[in-house]
This record gives sequence, C-alpha cells and structure tokens, in this order.
Amino acid sequence: MKIDINYIARVEGESSVKLEIEGGKLKELRLNIWEPPRFFEGFLVGRKFDEVPDIVARICGICPVSHMTTAIRAMENAFGFKPSTEVKKIRKILALSQILSSHLAHLYIFALPDFFKLNSVVEMLPRYEKEIKRFLRLKDAANSITSLFGGRALHPVSMVVGGFTKLPSKADTEKAAKELESLHEDALETLKMASELKCPALENDAEFVALTGKGEYAINGGIISSTKGLNIKEHEYPSYFIEDEVPYSNAKRTVIKDRGSLMAGALARINLGFDNLLPDAKKASEDIGFKGGGNPFLNNLAQAVEIVHAFQECAILLRGLTLKEYFADFKVREGVGSALTEAPRGMLYHYYEIDRSGIITKANIVTPTAHNFLNLEESLKKLVTENIDKPEDELILMCEMLVRAYDPCFSCSVH
Amino acid sequence: MNKLRLGFFKYSCCMGCSYFFAYVHKHVPEVLASFDFVFIKMLSRKGIPDGPFDIALVEGTITEAWQADELKIIRGQSKKLFAIGSCAVIGGIPAIKATAPELEVEKRVYKNLSSIHSIKPHAVDAYVKVDGYIRGCPPAERDLYEALTSVLTGRKPDFPQHSVCIECKLKGNLCVLIADNMPCMGPVTNAGCGALCPSMNRACYSCFGPMKQANGPALAKKFKAMGISRDDIIRKFTEFGADTIEFRKAVEMVYED
Repeated sequence: MKIDINYIARVEGESSVKLEIEGGKLKELRLNIWEPPRFFEGFLVGRKFDEVPDIVARICGICPVSHMTTAIRAMENAFGFKPSTEVKKIRKILALSQILSSHLAHLYIFALPDFFKLNSVVEMLPRYEKEIKRFLRLKDAANSITSLFGGRALHPVSMVVGGFTKLPSKADTEKAAKELESLHEDALETLKMASELKCPALENDAEFVALTGKGEYAINGGIISSTKGLNIKEHEYPSYFIEDEVPYSNAKRTVIKDRGSLMAGALARINLGFDNLLPDAKKASEDIGFKGGGNPFLNNLAQAVEIVHAFQECAILLRGLTLKEYFADFKVREGVGSALTEAPRGMLYHYYEIDRSGIITKANIVTPTAHNFLNLEESLKKLVTENIDKPEDELILMCEMLVRAYDPCFSCSVH
Repeated sequence: MNKLRLGFFKYSCCMGCSYFFAYVHKHVPEVLASFDFVFIKMLSRKGIPDGPFDIALVEGTITEAWQADELKIIRGQSKKLFAIGSCAVIGGIPAIKATAPELEVEKRVYKNLSSIHSIKPHAVDAYVKVDGYIRGCPPAERDLYEALTSVLTGRKPDFPQHSVCIECKLKGNLCVLIADNMPCMGPVTNAGCGALCPSMNRACYSCFGPMKQANGPALAKKFKAMGISRDDIIRKFTEFGADTIEFRKAVEMVYED
C-alpha cells in the first residue's frame, strides 16, 4: 500500500510524506521537501554586507529576527567587531519576542486543532473562544515588543551591523515591561493547556543539540552542546556538522559527522538548558512533571515552558536597559565570519566570506529544519512502524501531527 | 449574507504573507464572519484548491513552471485575484536571482541540479491579470483590509499610488536623503509603510517596490552626484525591484553613463 501525504497543512512551507507498506511492514518512507528553492546563497554573492540582514530576513516570514541577528553576528565576527552589552541585550529581547510569536502561533494555530480533532483554528470558534482570546492577547504583546524595537513585527528595519538605528524611549520600554508582566497568568495557562494534550508515545534516541551558556538561557551564540557530549565553539561548527544534498528533496540534510541525526529546537534547549530557565518557568515546568525527554511530541510542551520563560526574561531585560550605546562604528575588512543563534525552531547557522570592499563572495546558511530533517524522517519511520495496524486516516493524521510537532519551517530549510 | 469564498495560494516566498493574514491583527471577528476560508494551507487541513473563488490572494514569486500553470487555473476560477506582498507584486527578493546568469547562481547552491527545475523569477502579473496589488514586504495592513472590503462591498479598491516621500512629509520627518545624505529610495518607492525606515533613522530600501512610473534614472543620477559607486547604485535598484521596468531603467542608465 502506498500513502502519499502531499497536503501537509499548518506548517510553514511545502512538503510531503511518501510511504510504502508491504506485508504489514514499512518498506520505505521519504520526507520530500518540495518547497521551491529561491537560491539565497547563490544571489547573496555580489551583494554588499549592509544589505544582507534585510535580504536574509526574507528567508522566513516567522523568524526574520533570527536570520537578521545571525547574519549580523556572522559579519561582525568577520570584521572583528564586538557589540556593546546594551546591543546584546536588545538583540536578545528581539529574539525572545520572536520566539514567543513563533511558539504561540505554532501551539495555538498549527498544533492545537489536531488535539481537538478539528481541521483549523477557525473551526475552534466559538467553542474554544477562551483559548483564542488568550492567544490573541499573548500574540499581540509579543508582536508589539518586536515592533517596539524593530519598527514592525515582521521584517524589522532597525537591526544593522554595529547595533541599532534607533531605540524607543525609556517610558515605552517600561510600559512594555509592565504589559509583559501582566501576562504571566496567561502564559501559565498556556503551559497548563499544553500539558493536558495527549500525545502519542514515541521514543527517539536522537542527539539533542542546542546552544548553551553559563547561567543564561542561551539564544544569540553560546557553546554548541548535545545530550551525547558535544561541547564545541561556534566557529568549530563546520568540522562537526555535514550538510548534504538529498535526491528527493530541495532542502539539504545536515548530520553530525560520524554520528548521525540530531534534533534541535525547544525540546533540545530544554533538555540541555533546563537549569538555566528562570525560577518561575522551572517551577511551573516541574509542577507538571516535565523536565524534558526524548519523545518529539514533547516539543509542544517544551515550547509552552519557553513561553513562560521568555515573557519573564523579556520583561527583566527591558527593565535593565540604559538605552545608550546602541550603535558603534566598525571597520569593513576582508574576512570570514560565522555565527549561530537559537531560532524559535532551533539552531541556525550563517557563514559569510567578505572581500575588502564589503562584498559577499560566499554564503552558507543551515537552518533548524535542515538540522532536524533526518531525525524527523527517522521518527516518522518509527511512528508508522509502531502504528502500522491503524486505519489509513488515523495513520496519516499521526504522521502530520509528528511533522507539526517538530515545528518545521520548510521555506527556511530550502531558502 | 452568504460568506464569500476565499482562497490563499503560496508560491516561492517566506510565507510571511500567509502568516500575516492568518493573524489579521485587529479585525479577526469581522474577517471570519465575512469569508469562508476554502483554501489556505497555513491555517487549515483538508482545504480544497478548487474554485470558484470570490477572492483569491496570491503570495510568492513565480519560479517554477507548475506554479504558472496552477496560477492560470486559479485566475480562471476567481472573480477577483490580488497579488499580496512584494514577491507576488514585483518579484521581490527572489528576483535578485535574475541579476546574474541562472546556472551560475544555481551552481553555488546545488552540486546536482538534475532535480532542480527553476525558471526565471517573475511577479504574478507576468502570467495573469491582477485586480489589485497589496504591496509591501510585509504587506501593508491597511491595503489588505482595503482589498477585502472592496470585494465585500463590490467597489474598486483604492490603494496608495504616491511615494514614500509624501508619507515622510505628512509625518514631519526630516529628509534623510537631503539632510543626512543617506541613499534613500523613498522618492521612487510606493507608499504604504508609513515612511518606516526614514522614521527609524535609516534610508528606505524599497521593500514596497517602485511607485508606478517612478523616475528611477533621476534618483540614480542623484545618488551618483552624492558619490555613490556604480555597483552600489545598481544594488539599490535590484534589491526589491530587479524585475520591474521602473528600476531596470535606472540600472540601464547607470550602465550607459
């Protein structure tokens, strides 16, 4: 029996799962990422460094801040430029606000309808009006933080190499902090809701990989760490991670050299950085008996924990801003630079070679979904094998739910 | 009142327009009450991409042949078809690809091109007639509502046709081109963003694309007089407008000069 799930809705971008069952056994399964390529790494060559953040933002409609920050950090590394502490704080606020937006959209719009046996968030009305209203309150707040600093929530404009072009006033940042603090209960309700969703059991012994920091829930840079002992610096990334083309997919697939598949994203960050969560988020998570795990479906829950954490950390960072030293001049020079950040969906890598007039001569971008590609395929195989007797409709829905649990961005993965 | 049938179609892009639409900030109840979301992949399982549609929204650049084929079918089934976002409206960022030989650009990304079937990137109106343009990257919220309400009320949509300069003047911004010598694309860029970049202390980079019949060559001349290099001027006009007549004219002028 051949099953072709070619309409995978409620994810970003295009993909299909093709599988073949023969004699009660799974014969073959492929995740075909048919999202059309746009060739960013091809046309970035010849562009100037100061256009790059605005261009790479357009790789993703959900995580533009991550692509911009990663590119900016990579180019600053190439120029040997170190941004001020204030700039780093604001970049983290922006990153957290975007993690919030992305996770909220994923949990409420993309993932949730499955658990209520519905096709879309539209069908959730009017029965789940309370949840939808909570979603809108939280999403509004997250978006307003991104636009407070970036000018707009999607494809912000203030982020440049060296820092920011303009900052809001102290009165505005204080007001924003207060707004975020007032949403703590809503964030906790979101976690409670996520903890009540019944997920299929599925083991996954993948290597979880995320950036970690000392005493900090790492987002923009850190040590590349894994649950199987990886512990390397950002610039060592190419010696450990291998990207390869896949004949049936427009997205490339990344593995850890001599080791195999990996899983990045919220669950990986919780598995590796649980102790660095803020006390309230940690406690709320422990109260529901969650400290991480291997089942990829737990990624939904991990995102909910991060929502509690991110609202709080954002508010703390906002309170601590001086709003000074938000830009410093730098010297353009020939060089090579790379950087990693934790995008909402996981580890994101940018690499640039730049000539002496600031023109890009080579670019490479590896996105969270390219990191997760092989592991997602392996998990799908396991899921189908373990549920092979289920009716076709049910099996298809389970596969879709698993794809969505990874919160993939196929637009990013092909780019 | 019967709800109007709405289809949302995505081609080569960041899917930010779908995301934007899925979360229509201030008017969620009104939109839900007025439209039946027949097909929007980012929001719903089991949507049916078959018409007829009262309104079709199309995001993304056309970069593969099947997309052009599908687009033509959708056009035939839709009373009104709007291009949404700079990719669909003007080719957007993906159209930068066309500024260099296709094979050269593609080879930098893939070693094996046998399964890659990209064609030259174009805006939606290179293939089908479009009833209106919801410009911007991301699109302007006001223009999205304008498109939706125009279909609901059966009138012609009214989109801004002036340049970003007018928005700056209305906001009382100091001109970053004249006062700060920044290479601002505002004079040739269609309004809709509220003069965002100049308000954030930087030059407009034309993410809304050219205003109709904008005088690109005149601005390119101004940039040249400001001491900006030929290649930098070309990059300004090809970041979002590589596939537009208005900006191609500026690029040609710079080459000939």
